[in-house]
Amino acid sequence: MNHAGNLLRRSTFALVLSVLLAARLFPAVGCDLNDPDRDVKRLFPGATSYKTLYVSVTEKGGAPLLRRIEARLGDRFKGLYETADVPYTLYLVYKSKNLIGYIHGVNQKGRYGGLQVFLALDLQGNIRSFYFQKLTSQYAKLLRDPSFGRQFEGLNLKDFNAYDVTTGASREGGRVAAIRNPAPQAEDDFRAALRAVKKNLILVDEFLLGNQYLKDGAQP
Amino acid sequence: MSKRFRLGVLGLLLTLAGSPLAASNHLFYLEAQGVAGYSASASKTIFYSQSPEEAMQKPSLGFDYVQRFSGEYGDWAVLAVQFRLAINAGPKPTLEPQVYNAFLRLKLGFVALWAGHNRPRFGLAADLDSHSLLLQPLPMNGFGFDRDWGLGLERDFSWGQGGLSLTSGSGMPLHLKGNYFIAGRITRGVLARDNLSLGFSVGWGRILEVMGTHLMSDTPRPFAAAGLDFTRLWNNLESRLEVLAGKMAGQPAYALFWRAGVGFFEENRLKIEIQPVVLRKEGRTQVLLSAGVSFLAGADWTLRGMVHFNRETGDRLYVFQVYYYKGIRF
Repeated sequence: MNHAGNLLRRSTFALVLSVLLAARLFPAVGCDLNDPDRDVKRLFPGATSYKTLYVSVTEKGGAPLLRRIEARLGDRFKGLYETADVPYTLYLVYKSKNLIGYIHGVNQKGRYGGLQVFLALDLQGNIRSFYFQKLTSQYAKLLRDPSFGRQFEGLNLKDFNAYDVTTGASREGGRVAAIRNPAPQAEDDFRAALRAVKKNLILVDEFLLGNQYLKDGAQP
Repeated sequence: MSKRFRLGVLGLLLTLAGSPLAASNHLFYLEAQGVAGYSASASKTIFYSQSPEEAMQKPSLGFDYVQRFSGEYGDWAVLAVQFRLAINAGPKPTLEPQVYNAFLRLKLGFVALWAGHNRPRFGLAADLDSHSLLLQPLPMNGFGFDRDWGLGLERDFSWGQGGLSLTSGSGMPLHLKGNYFIAGRITRGVLARDNLSLGFSVGWGRILEVMGTHLMSDTPRPFAAAGLDFTRLWNNLESRLEVLAGKMAGQPAYALFWRAGVGFFEENRLKIEIQPVVLRKEGRTQVLLSAGVSFLAGADWTLRGMVHFNRETGDRLYVFQVYYYKGIRF
């Protein structure tokens, strides 16, 4: 009984510790490249190395930052994958000692569970490559086709500011409006991908680019 | 545990937790789980998911730590440590330290080298993270190891991955009694990208019989096996199939494993799985049937349930798990 009492006391201590630490806790759901060594080389053929950093909205600015990001996105963060304290994984890509770009991925609610959208970006936040990491839809082959990803190349947050993630509407004549869905049966996942790209670009602007696209007056 | 020690730990963790950085190169997760169930054959409440000797799953408190090392030329290594303090419930409860990940992975350019306690490159379990799950793959039944002490080489290709490992063949505890385990695995397809992967594994050596942290026999036994596995993801469906065949302790041994799952609701919060397993080893055939359900109650909480039937013993286990996994910033 004494032994069990000790166990109980230890468990209680651990539990109390957990509760005390709760204010500094963050959820488990992040978005890493499955295989950064392979993926960095593929997304940046000239790259020689990369650095991995973890950042969250809570760390960078807390609730005010979350509200600003939601305002820029034009939608609320919701679900398992969109909490302020999700640790985002940022890959800083180098050629020798020179920083040449970034890779960043986000989780996004899709038709079947979550999907993961990664962007390879140049130092100005222009999309070099668009990449679905996780996408289990039966139409994945069409959405993963390089011709779909190529439609995003060269776009940046300025272009996506013209896209409304809640309605799927985009300014006529805009570059986002020109993006064609290769799988009309998977409209849910197509729109989820566009929302994920806009969210991704906003987070990169906040975390890495010093809000370059806010300074440019590119806010919606 | 002295009061001074407790206060020290508390102070350290609060200090660490109180110094947030804008960006960090490490992740630290707190893990806690409660596991309870009922064994029909024993007619009693149990506090484990498979057997009292096995490591997974039991009520426990633990952590999961990942540290990346970078220089001016980028990342060059990753340290991973995953530890649990589990409770063996019973008339005289005991605490059981459990080490899962404990390895350093170095990038050597064309290949990555790891050293420590990691997954040997054998079978589907080499690529399947079962750390928190009630349903377990074949290492739980003596075909390979969930983790093992040693070295490994891995290389990723555009078409998949290849890897080799040389480990102790003793599982979670490190014992050196002339035992070793050499394994190699090659996969075609990247599951997260292609939604399918096909794997081929071979493993041989002289391995110890272990269950969790318990050494069941001092004498290493010869083991040699080869296997194929296939995983497919499609919409909200998952299917994993594995076949292993070879010799264990001089006798023919084989295993057939299948796990099928379907996800429901937004973000696949509810998942239902079935897992039939057929084993032949030491002249005995076993049929194990399991069904599991898991529900993501939030970003940090998962509830799981499992029914497990062993045709050989006639036992049925009904197990429930509350699992908590949350990052701590420091």
